[in-house]
Amino acid sequence: MAQSDIRKWFMKQHDKGNGNASKPGKPTMERPSPATSLSEKKPVHESQESSGRRKTSKYFATDTENPRDEQEMETTPAKRKIQKNSEELHSALKTPAAKKLHKVDDNDDFISPDARKNSAKVTPIKKLKSESGRGIVQKPVDTDENDEDAVDDKDIEPPLKTGGRGGGGRGAATAPTGGRGRGGGRGGFMNFGERKEPPHKGEKEVPEGSPDCLAGLTFVISGTLDSLEREEAEDLIKRHGGRVTGSISKKTNYLLADEDIGGRKSSKAKELGTRFLTEDGLFDMIRSSKPAKATAQEELKKKAAIKPVVSPLKGSPQKEVKDKVGNSSARKVAPKVPVTGDSSTKQKDQCIAQCSLSWTDKYRPKTPNDIIGNQSIVKQLHDWLANWNINFSRSAQKGKGRKQNDSGSKKAVLLSGTPGIGKTTSAKLVGQMLGFQTIEVNASDNRGKADSKIFKGVNGSTANSIKELVSNEALSVKSNWSKHVKTVLIMDEVDGMSAGDRGGVADLIASIKISKIPIICICNDRYSQKLKSLVNHCLLLSFRKPTKQQMAKRFLQVANQEGLQVNEIALEELAERVNGDMRMALNQLQYMGLSMSVIKYDDIRQRLLSSMKDEDISPFTAVDKLFGFNAGKLRMDERIDLSMSDPDLVPLLIQENYINYRPSSASKDDNGVKRMNLLARAAESIGDGDIINVQIRRYRQWQLSQTGAVASCIIPSALLHGQREILGQGERNFNRFGGWLGKNSTMGKNLRLLEDVHVHFLASRESSSDRETLRVDYFNLLLKRLTDPLRILSKDEAVKKVVEFMDTYSLSQEDSETIMELSKFQGHPNPLEGIQPAVKAALTKAYKEGSSSRVVRAADLITLPGIKRVPKKRIAAILEPVEGSLAEETGDALAESEEENSSDAENMDDTINGEKKLQLDLQSSNSKGIQIQLDLKNDLKTPASKSKGSSKPTEKKGGRSSGTSAKRKR
Amino acid sequence: MLWVDKYRPKNLDKIMVHEEVAQNLKKLVTEQDCPHLLFYGPPGSGKKTLIMAVLRQMFGPSAEKVKLENKTWKIDAGSRTLDLELTTLSSTHHVELNPSDAGFQDRYIVQEIIKEMAKNRPIDTKGKKGFKVLVLNEVDKLSREAQHSLRRTMEKYSASCRLILCCNGSSKVTEAVRSRCLNLRINAPTNEQIIRVLEFIGKKESLQLPPGFTARIAAQSNRSLRRAILSFETCRVQQYPFTSDQVIPPMDWEQYISEIASDIMQEQSPKRLFLVRGKLYELLINCIPPVIILKRLLSELLKKLDAELKHEVCHWAAYYEHRMRLGQKAIFHIEAFVAKFMSIYKGFLIATFG
Repeated sequence: MAQSDIRKWFMKQHDKGNGNASKPGKPTMERPSPATSLSEKKPVHESQESSGRRKTSKYFATDTENPRDEQEMETTPAKRKIQKNSEELHSALKTPAAKKLHKVDDNDDFISPDARKNSAKVTPIKKLKSESGRGIVQKPVDTDENDEDAVDDKDIEPPLKTGGRGGGGRGAATAPTGGRGRGGGRGGFMNFGERKEPPHKGEKEVPEGSPDCLAGLTFVISGTLDSLEREEAEDLIKRHGGRVTGSISKKTNYLLADEDIGGRKSSKAKELGTRFLTEDGLFDMIRSSKPAKATAQEELKKKAAIKPVVSPLKGSPQKEVKDKVGNSSARKVAPKVPVTGDSSTKQKDQCIAQCSLSWTDKYRPKTPNDIIGNQSIVKQLHDWLANWNINFSRSAQKGKGRKQNDSGSKKAVLLSGTPGIGKTTSAKLVGQMLGFQTIEVNASDNRGKADSKIFKGVNGSTANSIKELVSNEALSVKSNWSKHVKTVLIMDEVDGMSAGDRGGVADLIASIKISKIPIICICNDRYSQKLKSLVNHCLLLSFRKPTKQQMAKRFLQVANQEGLQVNEIALEELAERVNGDMRMALNQLQYMGLSMSVIKYDDIRQRLLSSMKDEDISPFTAVDKLFGFNAGKLRMDERIDLSMSDPDLVPLLIQENYINYRPSSASKDDNGVKRMNLLARAAESIGDGDIINVQIRRYRQWQLSQTGAVASCIIPSALLHGQREILGQGERNFNRFGGWLGKNSTMGKNLRLLEDVHVHFLASRESSSDRETLRVDYFNLLLKRLTDPLRILSKDEAVKKVVEFMDTYSLSQEDSETIMELSKFQGHPNPLEGIQPAVKAALTKAYKEGSSSRVVRAADLITLPGIKRVPKKRIAAILEPVEGSLAEETGDALAESEEENSSDAENMDDTINGEKKLQLDLQSSNSKGIQIQLDLKNDLKTPASKSKGSSKPTEKKGGRSSGTSAKRKR
Repeated sequence: MLWVDKYRPKNLDKIMVHEEVAQNLKKLVTEQDCPHLLFYGPPGSGKKTLIMAVLRQMFGPSAEKVKLENKTWKIDAGSRTLDLELTTLSSTHHVELNPSDAGFQDRYIVQEIIKEMAKNRPIDTKGKKGFKVLVLNEVDKLSREAQHSLRRTMEKYSASCRLILCCNGSSKVTEAVRSRCLNLRINAPTNEQIIRVLEFIGKKESLQLPPGFTARIAAQSNRSLRRAILSFETCRVQQYPFTSDQVIPPMDWEQYISEIASDIMQEQSPKRLFLVRGKLYELLINCIPPVIILKRLLSELLKKLDAELKHEVCHWAAYYEHRMRLGQKAIFHIEAFVAKFMSIYKGFLIATFG
């Protein structure tokens, strides 16, 4: 099946571009086959001549070949001609491959059983026939091929020789093997077909070679390639077993680059003498691997009679592997039944014992050296544990009251790291190795606070047994205890101590203090709030994720033992995809091993694409991806995922940064109109997002959240994705954090301050304008009245005048500061400019002096019961002594008390202060001669009003700033 | 004390600008059959002054003895209890409040608090004023839900309570509410009226006014009497005696907005848009209401714009202003307007000048 696909594809190419070449009066049946074979032949040719030649030259190449074909055509019937052509081709393909690739292939060449080939071939060809008209042409080639081999080889120049055979062989031989190798390749091809063509791209076919043809080679990709995108090229190389690295080193075999050579990579490559390779060269290398494979397959065919299922990729080493595969597959099918065949009895036993185990258990490291990565940490752990008794047991003997040993080492260890990197395993292993008996307590046990009486015994709760264990009271009586069985307590998942485990961490710390055995604590997140106190009592060891190479190495061992055939590149890919989680990777591997015995790069790629480990994606990464150069290729669901990764923050980041992107959709935009238009559209869409957000939050229309994501993130990013550029000087070219949050909170703060001014303003009873009017209209004049006299008049006069004015409107100093703050504009002179500091100081002084003569002031120096934190110094309301009637005075007092309430309420938050403090404050304020007592009584009488008041801060934030704080709360 | 407040007419007879309205109101009040009132008109036209004068007319000087209250109301809103903070100015006869302060929870204010206030018939020793007055400011900023709740209240408790509503534009008050009120449109004073008032103040303050000086202030005041008086006094603070060519200081924020406008006209590029965003944030942080920013920005832009674009730009300004009200983050919409303007203007420039 796969084969026919490829054929079609090749032929399509020729129908498109090469119609002329194949025209010259040949029977229709024949035409396609020379064409296809030629297309295969030509690149090989090139690779021999110069690997740098561009693909486009292939049609010229065919011309040179054609005469020869025609000559042969004259003498032979059509079928034979075709054969020859293809054989020429294949032979051409073979030689370079044999040179370049593994010697394994050469081995394969030695064994070439023609007879078997024939028998093997017959079946697939029939299939082919029914599938496509083109396929029929290929059939005779295959069947007759072997007969013709010798003749053709003589006729045609040696380099072309083997290719023909190989190609034919390939087509036939792989089909019966179940097409596994092909399947992978074909998947890749299909993917490729679906992708958008990069700008430079012609219709080049991505060749397909043996999966290992690039094994051991290291590539570096530089610049734009002719037809492939970078990822595609990377993919292609990896798929064929090559390695792609980021920068040139001595190990690099090839620098893959096409047109624009220049820059650091190429200069360094020249320096190091790295060979340059064009894309075509790469294709040729891959393509040329086919015959090699074919020869391998010839060998296979011999074996195919015995084991047709396995498609060999290598020579002799693979045979062994194959055997194993056979074993393992047998094992898998019937795990409990003893395996027949060549495996030893020992193996059998193992198998029976282990087949039921998951690989994670089966291949759990057996010695500390088996642990992948973090060796130094394991060593540290080992040392700590080994020295524990020396460090602590002596001091422990001194008695319970001994001091915390602060000579560097701690009594417990805290291992931290992401899941699946072997923390528990290392802890256990190290313990075992040092002859400790490990006792593991994890989240499945209740680890709450122990009863204070440990004497209740071990049969109490686990917590008690821990205590028992740790304090070791009973056991330590036995003199030889410490010599014989040493115990280590492993507290797993300490950061999981939560709800049920009341006081768990505290208790653990207490245990650590009195412990007579070493305690190893294990957690995932060392910076967790819960563990803050614990951290101080522990030696901290953080496990790092092992590198992908380390992991891949271990996987390879596992795979080999399990008889899985996986190449290292594929395993590295796996390691990368699971993000350092060994356990998960092994599970994946085992799962894949159930259904296939050969796992290829593509399999892993495809598999893990779907089941990729959910990674926490930061809003920044999400925005980077959305705006990235390749963002146009993201699927819709990917985009939604990205923008929903933090539905609050991502839109803000988008809004902050969308201006910075130079949209790739408006690449030819001389005057920037297009970009401006796109910006306008994006801005509008962001506005849409805001409107939708209101609907979501205010009316709880959560079903709109995807729409919101589309409007606020996806549309702007789709319009503007491209290159980021900086707009201001000295700016770093990274996405800024959304400015809105900060600005909004400043705005909220300023609004509150403005409201204070407003309240005071109203309290003066001189004006009843609203807040906005106050800001928009009054502030200019207020500012003038507050600052101008200070500049113009003499100090005393000015101060007097200003204080007078402030008193008229019962403005406090804070208010005047607010007024100045709110009148500051960037780029405009500071309103306080030109005022002498001495004058300012005098003003402050005068105001303070004046405060003793005011009827009410500084009411908020009193801490009222029910008001928590001592409020910041603030003046509530200042009323001029009222000239008029008694009635008015009482009215005022009332108003005052209310105001005190309000302004006090504004900045209270925390703890309840006692009556004492109140008294104190009262006295102090009394000494200033204030009418507070009365107000206080008022307040005390009406506790309800106070409690009402206490909710003010939150309310204010919620209502006024309408900002995040309120939103998040919900 | 500022002149604005000092020379604010305290009763209906002293009103200088809307004499006719004042007289009508006086008649209305003295006949003691006062309906609900809705005052609307541009800022600085004297709505508040009229309202205060009306209250004084109704209740005498005691209406001026107000106290400032800041109360928290516990409101049972279905599943949860809300705490709403509300500042009120109240005398024995009237309560003045600003329900839109509660943001999107304003309907609870109307439903609970106003209803609560409206229910209680004031106990009056004299027994003659059988109702109290609720003055609601910024009714146009009330949400739709709040306005709907309001209309029931207006009908149900009309015996014990009169509402005086005050807002800038009647278009944002629902028709149902409008039809229950006596609508009083308070026009912005004409320049002549403003000049008259300014000269009156000048006389009272015994200032020497150079000819044409008040006219210039009036012209710059955008027909807002309050602003005229304020900037009059600003001039006084800045420099006295007046000179005929004295610069009338513009409002700080207006100046800033006109700077933004010229920024926009100068260059239309992403870079400039970014700069403008920073400046807009600056304005918002300084508590300039976003709607006012947008309006002002539009008028500044229109000053410099070619006639053929004006229509389109106005359309977009209105469009984004509407969206700004629907949305929550004002800056997004103002910025969208700026971006839109830039894109239109840039296209226009290139089409005309190549």
